Amino acid sequence: MFSRVSVFLPLRPLSRLPLSSGSSEVSAAAIVLPAAPHGTVRTKNIQRYFGTNSVVYSKKDEQSVPAGESSRETSESQDGVKENTKKDLLDIIKDMKVELSTVNVQTTKPPNRRPLKSLEATIGRLRRATEDTPMKRNEPLSPELVAAASAVADSLPFDKKTTKSIFSFSNIISDMKVARSAARVSARPMHQFQFDEGFDNSFDQEETANLRKSLRKNIFKGKRLNIFDIKAVTEEVPETETSPSLWDVEFAKQLATVSEQPFQNGFEEMIQWTKEGKLWEFPINNEA
Amino acid sequence: MAGAMSLCWLRVRSGLCLPLTVRRASSCERAPSCRFYSGSTTLPKVNGTDKTGIEEIVIPRKKTWDKVAVLQALASTVNRDTTAAPYAFQDDPYLIPTSSMESRLFLLAKKSGENAAKFVINSHPKYFQKDIAEPHIPCLMPESFEPQIEDVSEAALKERIKLKKVKASVDMFDQLSQAGTTVSLETTNSLLDLLCYCGDQEPPADYQFQQTEQSEELEEATEENSKKSRTKAGHQFRVTWRANNNAERIFALIPEKNAHSYCTMIRGMVKHRAHVQALNLYTELLNSRLRADVYTFNALIEAKASMRNEKFEVKWNNILELLKEMVAQKVKPNLQTFNTILKCLRRFSVPARLPALQTLREMKAVGIEPSLATYHHIIQLFYQHEGLSKASSLIIYDIMNELVGKKFSPRDPDDGIFFQSAMKVCSSLRDLELAYQVHGLLNTGDNRKLLGPDYQRNFYYSKFFSVLCLMEQIDVTLKWYKDLIPSVFFPHSQTLIDLLRALDVANRLEVIPQIWKDSKEYGHTFRSELREEILMLMARDKHPPELQVAFADCAADIKCTYESQDDRHTAPDWPANPLSCIAVLFLRAGRTQEAWKMLGLFRKHNKIPRGELLNEFMDSAAMSSSPSLAIEVVKLASAFSLPVCEGLTQRVMTDFAINQEQKEALGNLTALTSDSDSDSDIDSSSSSDTDEGE
Repeated sequence: MFSRVSVFLPLRPLSRLPLSSGSSEVSAAAIVLPAAPHGTVRTKNIQRYFGTNSVVYSKKDEQSVPAGESSRETSESQDGVKENTKKDLLDIIKDMKVELSTVNVQTTKPPNRRPLKSLEATIGRLRRATEDTPMKRNEPLSPELVAAASAVADSLPFDKKTTKSIFSFSNIISDMKVARSAARVSARPMHQFQFDEGFDNSFDQEETANLRKSLRKNIFKGKRLNIFDIKAVTEEVPETETSPSLWDVEFAKQLATVSEQPFQNGFEEMIQWTKEGKLWEFPINNEA
Repeated sequence: MAGAMSLCWLRVRSGLCLPLTVRRASSCERAPSCRFYSGSTTLPKVNGTDKTGIEEIVIPRKKTWDKVAVLQALASTVNRDTTAAPYAFQDDPYLIPTSSMESRLFLLAKKSGENAAKFVINSHPKYFQKDIAEPHIPCLMPESFEPQIEDVSEAALKERIKLKKVKASVDMFDQLSQAGTTVSLETTNSLLDLLCYCGDQEPPADYQFQQTEQSEELEEATEENSKKSRTKAGHQFRVTWRANNNAERIFALIPEKNAHSYCTMIRGMVKHRAHVQALNLYTELLNSRLRADVYTFNALIEAKASMRNEKFEVKWNNILELLKEMVAQKVKPNLQTFNTILKCLRRFSVPARLPALQTLREMKAVGIEPSLATYHHIIQLFYQHEGLSKASSLIIYDIMNELVGKKFSPRDPDDGIFFQSAMKVCSSLRDLELAYQVHGLLNTGDNRKLLGPDYQRNFYYSKFFSVLCLMEQIDVTLKWYKDLIPSVFFPHSQTLIDLLRALDVANRLEVIPQIWKDSKEYGHTFRSELREEILMLMARDKHPPELQVAFADCAADIKCTYESQDDRHTAPDWPANPLSCIAVLFLRAGRTQEAWKMLGLFRKHNKIPRGELLNEFMDSAAMSSSPSLAIEVVKLASAFSLPVCEGLTQRVMTDFAINQEQKEALGNLTALTSDSDSDSDIDSSSSSDTDEGE
């Protein structure tokens, strides 16, 4: 944790990218990523810093990819395009070296998603993969992906050729764009989104604080079991009054011991004695 | 005319009085709709004063005060005195505890004294019949625990059940059924209650004196041990349900069982871990077309979750099935239903996270407010295996945001563990702001009461303080130190070590002697780790002279503790680090005699001094210009065959004025120590040749 903190330190003074994405990890990573307005000098350094963060991205890619995908990879791209902030982000991301082993990562069939097992397996692989750097170009990308990528590339306001070439290497960007667009976020199945809870990276302290303030969603929002109906539960059913059984008495005694604390001052002791009946009740009622 | 006059007078009035009335209207809501606006001419033209004749008097209702209200008001004015021992320990000053072990012994002793007194009174009630208290104080009179009714009747059975005499009740029941009298269903059910609750064993006697299994090691242990002690201090024996015990037998004897009979049996079986039988009995209940109550369902959920050899999905589906059956039988869930589900989910770690959140939302949707136990289970679920997963969840932040400012009362027996687990998470996340949030929640309202027994309290504050040491500025940390210790908790030695490290980071080493004094007070005089840490921090760098003197005094004190420890043990073991640290500290403060004595101790304890230490001794010898001392150093170095010996010899040769025989002695020494280094021999001999000794 601390090593990561020190790594992040040089990035703090850089400006933050305001993102409207609902995804906390994305925004967090985006916030941490500097908006590098000055070209690619930083990108090469940054890719080193974000080696582990790439785990976040790849995982997201798995889940949010609409079309079937078999594998993905990135490679270093020596692109030197002058950009706006969106492009900066993409640049940085594409420079991240994430690669998978030759094993296919199948998360394709939407009705049959098993996010848990494949996710864990993937994360394991991705973690191993981020360590080493050689470029590997495994399989040709699926045509759907290329179509999607080019569609996305069309939407981006810069040189199409370079964009396409970038996209031909990195699927992450398309997924990032996809993830960042509002429509995409809502289309993600909620349960996966919730599931991300388990895998948030531990960020820098400061970033965490900001994250918390700006992006935390309420834990109460989301799917519930939908078994009980509030009307049925809250309606007052006339229960037959039975004297408390042994179970109830013992439960009440157990509860009383939960809030037992030694006395903090003499008045608390007197309160306890008054309740037990050992002490006069004040003010003293002379007429009773 | 008069009317018109008064009307326009009124209007003028209202114009003039407008600001006044506005103010008045805002300040006293109870005032009847302002007279000046009514437009009626009959209202008087009085400006600002209430006329009693006109206005209604609303007599406030008489307030009734609780019998402890005055005391509570007084208690709220008293704050904690940070310089005094806690109130519970204020008795004979000699007995006031100064360490956490002593404080636990103190509380136990107090409680066991009460128990002993009660035991004596109840064993010999005839001596304690005189009642002089007016009004009568029932709880001070002797209680009788023996059944009074001797004949065989249902009333006798009821009495024995009330006194919780398991064996006697069962015998009485058997006698009654043999005699042919039918026992009412209600009584039989209450007998079943007793049997199922106690698992067909006699309940533990009220005067069982708690075993003090605490030792100093347990005090110093981590949270795993505190959990262990928690379970041990609870039930000393985990009773298991024997087959065909009295409960089952009597249950079978009942001709017409009602729902209560089944329910209590199921609950008893689950409590005593006969899960399969409980589920079978539930099936029987359903077949008899009876309706289980919510407590039974809670027990069944636990039973389903405890089945062995089933995967998580299967168990979760079973639990959901049970919940659906609850709905079908129109049984309303309660807080314990959801808390039991969450508790059972805790065993499954990651796959159970989503179901846990769904359960939480369900609870909220149904209108049951989550208690602290709910959040505790969720925190444990998400953070239990922190070490295993590299990514930590951020859910604690959501939870704390939700809980901020809320006041809690105990609704679930596990409510008292929340603060402990929350602070543990803060400590592992090293998040200071979150820790402050949790602490703020603790100090809201009466939440402080939910901190649990003393070991839990100590654990909470230890973790809190360790976060402070790690992350907070040193001045604030020291303020907290003065505030919390010792009036709230006594620190473990690990806590003190954390504080020392914080001082080190903040470069406030001058506080160390004070910390050592405090450590001695809190019973950590003989903790090796603590002493070594203190010595190491003091000895690491050179400091200005006053500080050096203070450090040397502290080191002398620590030396005494080592010596007294030596006296007690037959095999004295004094590690090398403290030896060298103490020696260095003496040296730097100018207490050279004692420092040299320390050097002697090295040989005595068979420990090897480090080269740097000997160099410092050499420096000191140079300062005092005493060649004999220098040669002593070299002798020591050679005795231990240290590689630094040659360097030292060189220094002696060059820096000191030594005479011939000393040089020869030195030469012999170096010859002894260095076999292969002929160069140094030649050097030394050449230098001895060139230097003419005086």
